Amino acid sequence: MKYAYYPGCSLLGSATEYARSSEATLRALSVELEEIEDWVCCGATAAHATSHLLSLALPAISCSAAEKKRLDVLTCCTACYSRLKQANHEIANDPALRSQVNQIIEEDYQGNVRVLHIAEVLSNELGLDTVRGCVSRPLEGLKIACYYGCLMARLPDHLRVDRAEYPMMLDDLMRAAGAEVIDWPYKTECCGAGLTLARQKTVVRLSGDIIQIAKESGAEALAVACPLCQANLDMYQSNVEVQTGRSLGIPVLYFTQLLGLALGATPAELGLEKLIVDPLPLLAEKGLVSGGVYL
Amino acid sequence: MKWELADKALHSDFLRTVEELSEQNLSSCYQCGKCSGGCPISAELDLSPNRLLRMVQLGLEDEVLGSETVWCCAACGTCTGRCPMNIDLGRVMDVLRGLALRRQVAPPPTAAPVLTFYRSFLDAVRRFGRLTEVGLMGSYNMNSGRVFTNMDKAPWFLIKRKISFSPHKISRIDRLERVFRRIEEIEGT
Repeated sequence: MKYAYYPGCSLLGSATEYARSSEATLRALSVELEEIEDWVCCGATAAHATSHLLSLALPAISCSAAEKKRLDVLTCCTACYSRLKQANHEIANDPALRSQVNQIIEEDYQGNVRVLHIAEVLSNELGLDTVRGCVSRPLEGLKIACYYGCLMARLPDHLRVDRAEYPMMLDDLMRAAGAEVIDWPYKTECCGAGLTLARQKTVVRLSGDIIQIAKESGAEALAVACPLCQANLDMYQSNVEVQTGRSLGIPVLYFTQLLGLALGATPAELGLEKLIVDPLPLLAEKGLVSGGVYL
Repeated sequence: MKWELADKALHSDFLRTVEELSEQNLSSCYQCGKCSGGCPISAELDLSPNRLLRMVQLGLEDEVLGSETVWCCAACGTCTGRCPMNIDLGRVMDVLRGLALRRQVAPPPTAAPVLTFYRSFLDAVRRFGRLTEVGLMGSYNMNSGRVFTNMDKAPWFLIKRKISFSPHKISRIDRLERVFRRIEEIEGT
Protein backbone atom coordinates (compact mmCIF):
# COMPACT_ATOMS: atom_id res chain seq x y z
CA MET A 1 0.00 0.00 0.00
CA LYS A 2 1.29 3.41 -0.97
CA TYR A 3 -0.12 6.90 -0.51
CA ALA A 4 0.75 10.45 -1.43
CA TYR A 5 1.64 12.02 1.91
CA TYR A 6 0.41 15.50 2.76
CA PRO A 7 2.05 16.40 6.11
CA GLY A 8 0.61 19.92 6.48
CA CYS A 9 2.27 22.86 8.22
CA SER A 10 1.66 21.87 11.85
CA LEU A 11 3.47 18.58 11.35
CA LEU A 12 6.59 20.54 10.42
CA GLY A 13 6.31 22.75 13.50
CA SER A 14 4.39 22.28 16.74
CA ALA A 15 3.36 18.71 15.88
CA THR A 16 6.56 17.04 14.67
CA GLU A 17 5.76 14.24 17.14
CA TYR A 18 2.53 13.58 15.24
CA ALA A 19 4.56 13.27 12.03
CA ARG A 20 7.18 11.03 13.65
CA SER A 21 4.67 8.75 15.35
CA SER A 22 2.49 8.51 12.24
CA GLU A 23 5.47 7.58 10.11
CA ALA A 24 6.60 5.00 12.72
CA THR A 25 3.10 3.50 12.91
CA LEU A 26 2.74 3.22 9.14
CA ARG A 27 6.26 1.79 8.82
CA ALA A 28 5.40 -0.92 11.36
CA LEU A 29 2.34 -1.80 9.28
CA SER A 30 4.22 -1.70 5.94
CA VAL A 31 2.28 1.25 4.53
CA GLU A 32 4.46 3.33 2.19
CA LEU A 33 4.36 7.10 1.93
CA GLU A 34 5.58 9.38 -0.84
CA GLU A 35 5.54 13.03 0.22
CA ILE A 36 3.73 15.29 -2.24
CA GLU A 37 6.34 17.40 -3.97
CA ASP A 38 6.11 21.11 -3.21
CA TRP A 39 2.78 20.81 -1.36
CA VAL A 40 1.27 24.05 -0.12
CA CYS A 41 -0.67 24.94 3.03
CA CYS A 42 -4.38 23.99 2.83
CA GLY A 43 -5.33 27.47 4.03
CA ALA A 44 -7.25 25.99 6.98
CA THR A 45 -10.00 28.17 8.48
CA ALA A 46 -8.28 31.41 7.43
CA ALA A 47 -8.87 30.61 3.74
CA HIS A 48 -12.43 29.27 3.86
CA ALA A 49 -13.47 32.01 6.28
CA THR A 50 -12.42 34.74 3.90
CA SER A 51 -12.36 33.40 0.31
CA HIS A 52 -14.19 30.46 -1.21
CA LEU A 53 -11.92 30.33 -4.27
CA LEU A 54 -8.76 30.38 -2.17
CA SER A 55 -10.14 27.55 -0.01
CA LEU A 56 -10.40 25.46 -3.20
CA ALA A 57 -7.27 26.62 -5.00
CA LEU A 58 -4.78 25.88 -2.21
CA PRO A 59 -5.86 22.23 -1.67
CA ALA A 60 -6.17 21.73 -5.44
CA ILE A 61 -2.49 22.57 -5.98
CA SER A 62 -1.41 19.73 -3.66
CA CYS A 63 -4.08 17.24 -4.76
CA SER A 64 -3.16 17.89 -8.39
CA ALA A 65 0.44 16.86 -7.65
CA ALA A 66 -0.87 13.62 -6.10
CA GLU A 67 -3.15 12.97 -9.09
CA LYS A 68 -0.15 13.15 -11.43
CA LYS A 69 1.46 10.35 -9.38
CA ARG A 70 -1.83 8.38 -9.42
CA LEU A 71 -1.83 8.09 -5.66
CA ASP A 72 -4.53 8.73 -3.07
CA VAL A 73 -3.74 11.38 -0.47
CA LEU A 74 -3.06 10.47 3.15
CA THR A 75 -3.00 13.22 5.76
CA CYS A 76 -2.85 13.22 9.57
CA CYS A 77 -3.96 16.73 10.49
CA THR A 78 -7.76 16.84 10.70
CA ALA A 79 -7.87 20.45 9.49
CA CYS A 80 -5.93 19.56 6.35
CA TYR A 81 -8.10 16.46 5.95
CA SER A 82 -11.32 18.42 6.19
CA ARG A 83 -10.19 21.15 3.79
CA LEU A 84 -8.59 18.85 1.23
CA LYS A 85 -11.55 16.49 1.21
CA GLN A 86 -14.22 19.15 0.88
CA ALA A 87 -12.33 21.14 -1.74
CA ASN A 88 -11.59 17.99 -3.71
CA HIS A 89 -15.26 16.99 -3.65
CA GLU A 90 -16.47 20.40 -4.86
CA ILE A 91 -13.92 20.47 -7.66
CA ALA A 92 -14.68 16.91 -8.78
CA ASN A 93 -18.44 17.51 -8.93
CA ASP A 94 -18.68 20.97 -10.49
CA PRO A 95 -17.13 21.19 -13.99
CA ALA A 96 -17.48 24.98 -14.23
CA LEU A 97 -15.79 25.48 -10.87
CA ARG A 98 -13.12 22.93 -11.83
CA SER A 99 -12.18 24.82 -14.94
CA GLN A 100 -12.10 28.11 -13.02
CA VAL A 101 -9.84 26.63 -10.32
CA ASN A 102 -7.58 25.04 -12.96
CA GLN A 103 -7.15 28.39 -14.67
CA ILE A 104 -6.24 29.97 -11.36
CA ILE A 105 -3.71 27.30 -10.35
CA GLU A 106 -2.32 26.60 -13.84
CA GLU A 107 -3.07 22.89 -13.65
CA ASP A 108 -5.40 20.36 -15.22
CA TYR A 109 -6.74 18.77 -12.07
CA GLN A 110 -9.70 16.40 -12.45
CA GLY A 111 -10.50 15.70 -8.80
CA ASN A 112 -9.74 12.01 -9.15
CA VAL A 113 -7.80 11.45 -5.93
CA ARG A 114 -9.32 10.23 -2.70
CA VAL A 115 -8.38 12.15 0.44
CA LEU A 116 -7.95 9.87 3.44
CA HIS A 117 -7.21 10.47 7.09
CA ILE A 118 -4.57 8.21 8.62
CA ALA A 119 -7.14 6.76 11.04
CA GLU A 120 -9.35 5.90 8.06
CA VAL A 121 -6.44 4.20 6.26
CA LEU A 122 -5.62 2.15 9.36
CA SER A 123 -9.15 1.08 10.23
CA ASN A 124 -10.83 0.86 6.81
CA GLU A 125 -8.13 0.24 4.22
CA LEU A 126 -5.73 -1.84 6.30
CA GLY A 127 -8.33 -3.19 8.71
CA LEU A 128 -8.54 -3.49 12.48
CA ASP A 129 -7.61 -7.19 12.38
CA THR A 130 -4.32 -6.42 10.63
CA VAL A 131 -3.54 -3.68 13.14
CA ARG A 132 -4.42 -5.95 16.07
CA GLY A 133 -2.24 -8.72 14.62
CA CYS A 134 0.84 -6.46 14.66
CA VAL A 135 0.48 -5.33 18.28
CA SER A 136 3.46 -6.49 20.32
CA ARG A 137 3.00 -4.34 23.42
CA PRO A 138 -0.75 -4.16 24.21
CA LEU A 139 -1.74 -1.03 26.13
CA GLU A 140 -3.31 -3.10 28.88
CA GLY A 141 -4.92 -1.24 31.76
CA LEU A 142 -4.59 2.17 30.14
CA LYS A 143 -7.87 4.12 30.29
CA ILE A 144 -8.15 6.40 27.29
CA ALA A 145 -10.72 9.00 26.27
CA CYS A 146 -10.66 9.41 22.49
CA TYR A 147 -11.22 13.02 21.52
CA TYR A 148 -12.15 13.67 17.89
CA GLY A 149 -12.76 17.41 17.93
CA CYS A 150 -14.82 19.05 15.24
CA LEU A 151 -13.11 18.52 11.96
CA MET A 152 -12.63 14.79 11.81
CA ALA A 153 -16.17 13.68 12.55
CA ARG A 154 -18.25 16.60 11.41
CA LEU A 155 -17.85 16.59 7.65
CA PRO A 156 -21.03 16.92 5.57
CA ASP A 157 -23.08 13.67 5.44
CA HIS A 158 -21.91 12.56 1.98
CA LEU A 159 -18.22 12.86 2.93
CA ARG A 160 -18.29 11.46 6.42
CA VAL A 161 -16.81 8.05 7.21
CA ASP A 162 -17.81 7.86 10.88
CA ARG A 163 -20.77 8.89 13.02
CA ALA A 164 -20.98 12.66 13.53
CA GLU A 165 -22.10 12.81 17.16
CA TYR A 166 -20.50 9.71 18.63
CA PRO A 167 -17.65 8.58 16.38
CA MET A 168 -15.83 5.31 17.12
CA MET A 169 -12.92 5.13 14.67
CA LEU A 170 -10.22 6.17 17.15
CA ASP A 171 -11.87 4.12 19.91
CA ASP A 172 -11.74 1.01 17.72
CA LEU A 173 -8.06 1.62 16.94
CA MET A 174 -7.19 2.18 20.60
CA ARG A 175 -9.08 -1.00 21.49
CA ALA A 176 -7.14 -2.85 18.81
CA ALA A 177 -3.99 -1.55 20.55
CA GLY A 178 -5.22 -3.19 23.75
CA ALA A 179 -6.30 -0.06 25.64
CA GLU A 180 -9.49 0.41 27.59
CA VAL A 181 -11.56 3.19 25.97
CA ILE A 182 -14.02 5.10 28.06
CA ASP A 183 -17.52 6.17 27.17
CA TRP A 184 -17.77 9.95 27.56
CA PRO A 185 -19.93 12.79 26.25
CA TYR A 186 -17.39 15.34 24.95
CA LYS A 187 -15.83 13.41 22.04
CA THR A 188 -16.76 16.03 19.46
CA GLU A 189 -17.10 19.22 21.51
CA CYS A 190 -15.06 22.10 20.10
CA CYS A 191 -11.77 23.04 21.87
CA GLY A 192 -11.83 26.56 20.43
CA ALA A 193 -9.46 25.62 17.63
CA GLY A 194 -8.09 28.51 15.59
CA LEU A 195 -9.31 31.12 18.06
CA THR A 196 -6.30 30.18 20.19
CA LEU A 197 -4.49 33.51 19.67
CA ALA A 198 -7.38 35.87 19.01
CA ARG A 199 -9.73 34.70 21.79
CA GLN A 200 -7.63 32.88 24.33
CA LYS A 201 -10.19 33.02 27.17
CA THR A 202 -12.72 31.20 25.02
CA VAL A 203 -10.20 28.49 24.24
CA VAL A 204 -9.22 28.01 27.89
CA ARG A 205 -12.91 27.66 28.84
CA LEU A 206 -13.74 25.17 26.10
CA SER A 207 -10.55 23.11 26.46
CA GLY A 208 -10.94 23.16 30.25
CA ASP A 209 -14.44 21.67 30.00
CA ILE A 210 -13.16 18.87 27.77
CA ILE A 211 -10.25 17.91 30.04
CA GLN A 212 -12.37 18.05 33.20
CA ILE A 213 -15.17 15.91 31.73
CA ALA A 214 -12.57 13.40 30.51
CA LYS A 215 -11.06 13.17 33.98
CA GLU A 216 -14.45 12.87 35.67
CA SER A 217 -15.36 10.10 33.21
CA GLY A 218 -12.35 8.11 34.39
CA ALA A 219 -9.80 8.81 31.67
CA GLU A 220 -6.08 8.65 32.46
CA ALA A 221 -5.05 10.06 29.09
CA LEU A 222 -6.59 11.64 26.00
CA ALA A 223 -5.98 10.34 22.48
CA VAL A 224 -6.32 13.01 19.78
CA ALA A 225 -5.92 13.29 16.01
CA CYS A 226 -5.66 17.05 15.49
CA PRO A 227 -2.57 19.25 16.10
CA LEU A 228 -4.68 22.21 17.17
CA CYS A 229 -6.73 20.15 19.65
CA GLN A 230 -3.51 18.68 21.02
CA ALA A 231 -1.90 22.09 21.45
CA ASN A 232 -4.97 23.63 23.11
CA LEU A 233 -5.65 20.73 25.50
CA ASP A 234 -1.99 20.25 26.42
CA MET A 235 -0.78 23.86 26.55
CA TYR A 236 -3.75 25.38 28.39
CA GLN A 237 -4.14 22.58 30.94
CA SER A 238 -2.05 24.54 33.45
CA ASN A 239 -4.29 27.62 32.95
CA VAL A 240 -7.33 25.47 33.72
CA GLU A 241 -5.62 24.09 36.82
CA VAL A 242 -4.92 27.61 38.07
CA GLN A 243 -8.49 28.74 37.35
CA THR A 244 -10.19 25.78 38.98
CA GLY A 245 -7.63 25.11 41.72
CA ARG A 246 -7.76 21.46 40.74
CA SER A 247 -4.88 19.36 39.53
CA LEU A 248 -5.60 17.60 36.24
CA GLY A 249 -2.39 16.06 34.86
CA ILE A 250 -4.06 14.36 31.89
CA PRO A 251 -1.48 13.66 29.16
CA VAL A 252 -2.79 14.50 25.68
CA LEU A 253 -1.22 12.10 23.19
CA TYR A 254 -1.64 11.75 19.47
CA PHE A 255 -3.42 8.46 18.85
CA THR A 256 -0.48 7.46 16.65
CA GLN A 257 1.88 7.82 19.63
CA LEU A 258 -0.21 5.30 21.55
CA LEU A 259 -0.70 3.01 18.59
CA GLY A 260 3.00 3.23 17.70
CA LEU A 261 3.89 2.28 21.27
CA ALA A 262 1.65 -0.79 21.02
CA LEU A 263 3.32 -1.68 17.71
CA GLY A 264 6.73 -1.70 19.40
CA ALA A 265 8.14 1.75 18.55
CA THR A 266 10.39 3.41 21.13
CA PRO A 267 9.38 6.57 23.07
CA ALA A 268 12.06 8.52 21.18
CA GLU A 269 10.70 7.44 17.78
CA LEU A 270 7.27 8.60 18.91
CA GLY A 271 8.36 11.98 20.24
CA LEU A 272 6.79 11.41 23.66
CA GLU A 273 9.22 13.93 25.18
CA LYS A 274 7.55 16.74 23.21
CA LEU A 275 4.30 16.71 25.15
CA ILE A 276 3.88 19.36 27.82
CA VAL A 277 1.91 17.20 30.27
CA ASP A 278 4.47 14.40 30.60
CA PRO A 279 2.95 11.00 29.68
CA LEU A 280 5.97 8.98 30.84
CA PRO A 281 5.04 8.54 34.53
CA LEU A 282 1.63 7.13 33.54
CA LEU A 283 3.08 4.89 30.82
CA ALA A 284 5.81 3.66 33.19
CA GLU A 285 3.22 2.92 35.88
CA LYS A 286 1.40 0.70 33.35
CA GLY A 287 4.69 -0.98 32.43
CA LEU A 288 4.56 0.32 28.87
CA VAL A 289 7.88 2.17 28.96
CA SER A 290 10.89 1.36 31.09
CA GLY A 291 11.94 3.68 33.90
CA GLY A 292 15.16 4.38 32.03
CA VAL A 293 13.58 6.82 29.63
CA TYR A 294 13.27 9.46 32.35
CA LEU A 295 17.02 10.01 32.03
CA MET B 1 -31.27 44.45 21.79
CA LYS B 2 -33.68 46.21 19.45
CA TRP B 3 -33.53 46.54 15.68
CA GLU B 4 -35.66 48.69 13.50
CA LEU B 5 -37.16 46.97 10.51
CA ALA B 6 -37.12 49.53 7.74
CA ASP B 7 -39.09 48.87 4.59
CA LYS B 8 -35.83 49.20 2.66
CA ALA B 9 -34.24 46.29 4.56
CA LEU B 10 -37.26 44.01 4.15
CA HIS B 11 -37.20 44.54 0.40
CA SER B 12 -33.45 44.39 -0.04
CA ASP B 13 -31.73 41.62 -1.96
CA PHE B 14 -29.57 40.61 1.02
CA LEU B 15 -31.39 37.34 1.75
CA ARG B 16 -31.37 36.33 -1.91
CA THR B 17 -27.66 37.16 -2.25
CA VAL B 18 -26.72 35.06 0.78
CA GLU B 19 -28.96 32.20 -0.36
CA GLU B 20 -27.44 32.20 -3.84
CA LEU B 21 -23.83 32.43 -2.73
CA SER B 22 -24.23 29.73 -0.06
CA GLU B 23 -26.62 27.57 -2.13
CA GLN B 24 -28.84 27.22 0.96
CA ASN B 25 -32.56 27.73 1.44
CA LEU B 26 -32.49 30.05 4.43
CA SER B 27 -36.22 30.67 4.34
CA SER B 28 -36.74 27.12 5.58
CA CYS B 29 -35.33 27.96 9.05
CA TYR B 30 -38.16 27.75 11.59
CA GLN B 31 -36.15 28.86 14.62
CA CYS B 32 -35.81 25.55 16.46
CA GLY B 33 -32.56 26.85 17.98
CA LYS B 34 -30.52 23.65 17.71
CA CYS B 35 -27.67 25.59 16.07
CA SER B 36 -27.42 27.92 19.04
CA GLY B 37 -27.86 25.10 21.56
CA GLY B 38 -24.82 23.31 20.14
CA CYS B 39 -22.70 26.37 19.35
CA PRO B 40 -19.65 26.36 21.66
CA ILE B 41 -19.40 30.14 21.79
CA SER B 42 -22.92 31.50 21.25
CA ALA B 43 -23.20 32.53 24.92
CA GLU B 44 -20.24 34.90 24.45
CA LEU B 45 -21.50 36.57 21.29
CA ASP B 46 -23.80 39.44 20.40
CA LEU B 47 -25.96 37.32 18.09
CA SER B 48 -26.75 33.65 18.60
CA PRO B 49 -26.68 31.69 15.32
CA ASN B 50 -30.50 31.29 15.09
CA ARG B 51 -30.99 35.01 15.72
CA LEU B 52 -28.38 35.86 13.10
CA LEU B 53 -30.20 33.67 10.58
CA ARG B 54 -33.52 35.35 11.34
CA MET B 55 -31.87 38.73 10.78
CA VAL B 56 -30.58 37.57 7.41
CA GLN B 57 -34.17 36.61 6.53
CA LEU B 58 -35.25 40.14 7.51
CA GLY B 59 -32.57 41.80 5.39
CA LEU B 60 -30.67 43.40 8.30
CA GLU B 61 -27.45 43.49 6.34
CA ASP B 62 -25.45 46.08 8.30
CA GLU B 63 -26.28 44.53 11.67
CA VAL B 64 -25.41 41.01 10.48
CA LEU B 65 -22.17 41.86 8.64
CA GLY B 66 -21.00 44.07 11.49
CA SER B 67 -21.68 41.49 14.21
CA GLU B 68 -19.17 39.74 16.45
CA THR B 69 -20.73 36.40 15.57
CA VAL B 70 -19.72 36.54 11.92
CA TRP B 71 -16.04 36.75 12.86
CA CYS B 72 -15.87 34.88 16.18
CA CYS B 73 -17.53 31.73 14.80
CA ALA B 74 -15.00 28.94 15.43
CA ALA B 75 -16.06 27.13 12.22
CA CYS B 76 -16.64 23.93 14.20
CA GLY B 77 -19.64 22.89 12.09
CA THR B 78 -21.93 21.82 14.95
CA CYS B 79 -24.76 24.04 13.66
CA THR B 80 -24.49 22.49 10.20
CA GLY B 81 -24.44 18.96 11.60
CA ARG B 82 -27.55 19.43 13.74
CA CYS B 83 -29.86 21.54 11.56
CA PRO B 84 -33.11 19.62 11.00
CA MET B 85 -33.66 21.51 7.74
CA ASN B 86 -30.13 20.67 6.52
CA ILE B 87 -29.06 24.29 6.30
CA ASP B 88 -25.27 24.44 6.06
CA LEU B 89 -24.93 27.37 8.45
CA GLY B 90 -21.13 27.00 8.50
CA ARG B 91 -21.13 27.76 4.79
CA VAL B 92 -23.50 30.68 5.34
CA MET B 93 -21.03 32.10 7.87
CA ASP B 94 -18.23 31.83 5.28
CA VAL B 95 -20.40 33.70 2.77
CA LEU B 96 -21.22 36.42 5.33
CA ARG B 97 -17.53 36.93 6.14
CA GLY B 98 -16.76 37.15 2.41
CA LEU B 99 -19.53 39.75 1.96
CA ALA B 100 -18.32 41.76 4.95
CA LEU B 101 -14.85 41.93 3.41
CA ARG B 102 -16.12 42.82 -0.06
CA ARG B 103 -18.51 45.46 1.23
CA GLN B 104 -15.82 46.73 3.60
CA VAL B 105 -17.85 46.35 6.78
CA ALA B 106 -15.31 46.39 9.59
CA PRO B 107 -15.65 43.83 12.40
CA PRO B 108 -16.51 45.27 15.84
CA PRO B 109 -13.41 45.90 18.04
CA THR B 110 -14.03 42.73 20.07
CA ALA B 111 -13.88 40.60 16.92
CA ALA B 112 -11.15 42.48 15.06
CA PRO B 113 -8.30 40.23 16.34
CA VAL B 114 -9.88 37.25 14.56
CA LEU B 115 -9.69 38.98 11.18
CA THR B 116 -6.14 40.12 11.98
CA PHE B 117 -5.26 36.50 12.71
CA TYR B 118 -6.72 35.26 9.39
CA ARG B 119 -4.88 38.01 7.49
CA SER B 120 -1.56 37.22 9.22
CA PHE B 121 -2.10 33.53 8.44
CA LEU B 122 -2.79 34.07 4.74
CA ASP B 123 0.04 36.60 4.37
CA ALA B 124 2.45 33.95 5.65
CA VAL B 125 1.02 31.34 3.27
CA ARG B 126 1.33 33.78 0.38
CA ARG B 127 4.94 34.58 1.21
CA PHE B 128 6.24 31.06 1.87
CA GLY B 129 3.59 28.59 0.66
CA ARG B 130 3.67 26.98 4.07
CA LEU B 131 3.12 28.31 7.52
CA THR B 132 5.54 28.51 10.40
CA GLU B 133 3.71 28.86 13.68
CA VAL B 134 6.40 31.05 15.24
CA GLY B 135 6.23 33.43 12.28
CA LEU B 136 2.44 33.48 12.48
CA MET B 137 2.48 34.23 16.21
CA GLY B 138 5.02 37.00 15.71
CA SER B 139 3.17 38.69 12.88
CA TYR B 140 -0.20 38.29 14.64
CA ASN B 141 1.17 39.89 17.80
CA MET B 142 2.58 42.83 15.84
CA ASN B 143 -0.46 43.32 13.60
CA SER B 144 -2.97 43.08 16.44
CA GLY B 145 -0.99 45.27 18.83
CA ARG B 146 -1.34 42.49 21.42
CA VAL B 147 2.39 42.04 21.53
CA PHE B 148 2.49 39.61 24.45
CA THR B 149 -0.16 37.13 23.32
CA ASN B 150 0.90 33.64 24.36
CA MET B 151 4.33 34.82 25.52
CA ASP B 152 3.79 32.91 28.79
CA LYS B 153 3.80 29.75 26.66
CA ALA B 154 7.02 30.63 24.85
CA PRO B 155 9.33 28.73 27.26
CA TRP B 156 7.40 25.53 26.52
CA PHE B 157 7.77 26.05 22.81
CA LEU B 158 11.50 26.40 23.25
CA ILE B 159 12.08 23.64 25.79
CA LYS B 160 9.95 21.15 23.89
CA ARG B 161 11.34 22.35 20.56
CA LYS B 162 7.81 22.75 19.31
CA ILE B 163 8.73 25.41 16.84
CA SER B 164 10.70 25.50 13.70
CA PHE B 165 12.41 28.82 13.00
CA SER B 166 13.38 28.26 9.40
CA PRO B 167 10.55 29.15 7.02
CA HIS B 168 9.54 26.24 4.82
CA LYS B 169 9.46 27.94 1.47
CA ILE B 170 8.04 26.05 -1.48
CA SER B 171 9.85 26.19 -4.80
CA ARG B 172 6.98 27.41 -7.00
CA ILE B 173 6.29 30.51 -4.92
CA ASP B 174 5.89 32.65 -8.07
CA ARG B 175 2.96 30.52 -9.19
CA LEU B 176 1.36 30.87 -5.75
CA GLU B 177 1.63 34.66 -5.97
CA ARG B 178 -0.21 34.54 -9.32
CA VAL B 179 -2.91 32.35 -7.68
CA PHE B 180 -3.49 34.92 -4.93
CA ARG B 181 -3.56 37.81 -7.44
CA ARG B 182 -6.05 36.09 -9.76
CA ILE B 183 -8.38 35.38 -6.85
CA GLU B 184 -8.16 38.98 -5.65
CA GLU B 185 -9.08 40.16 -9.15
CA ILE B 186 -12.07 37.81 -9.37
CA GLU B 187 -13.36 38.49 -5.89
CA GLY B 188 -12.61 42.20 -5.90
CA THR B 189 -10.91 42.20 -2.51
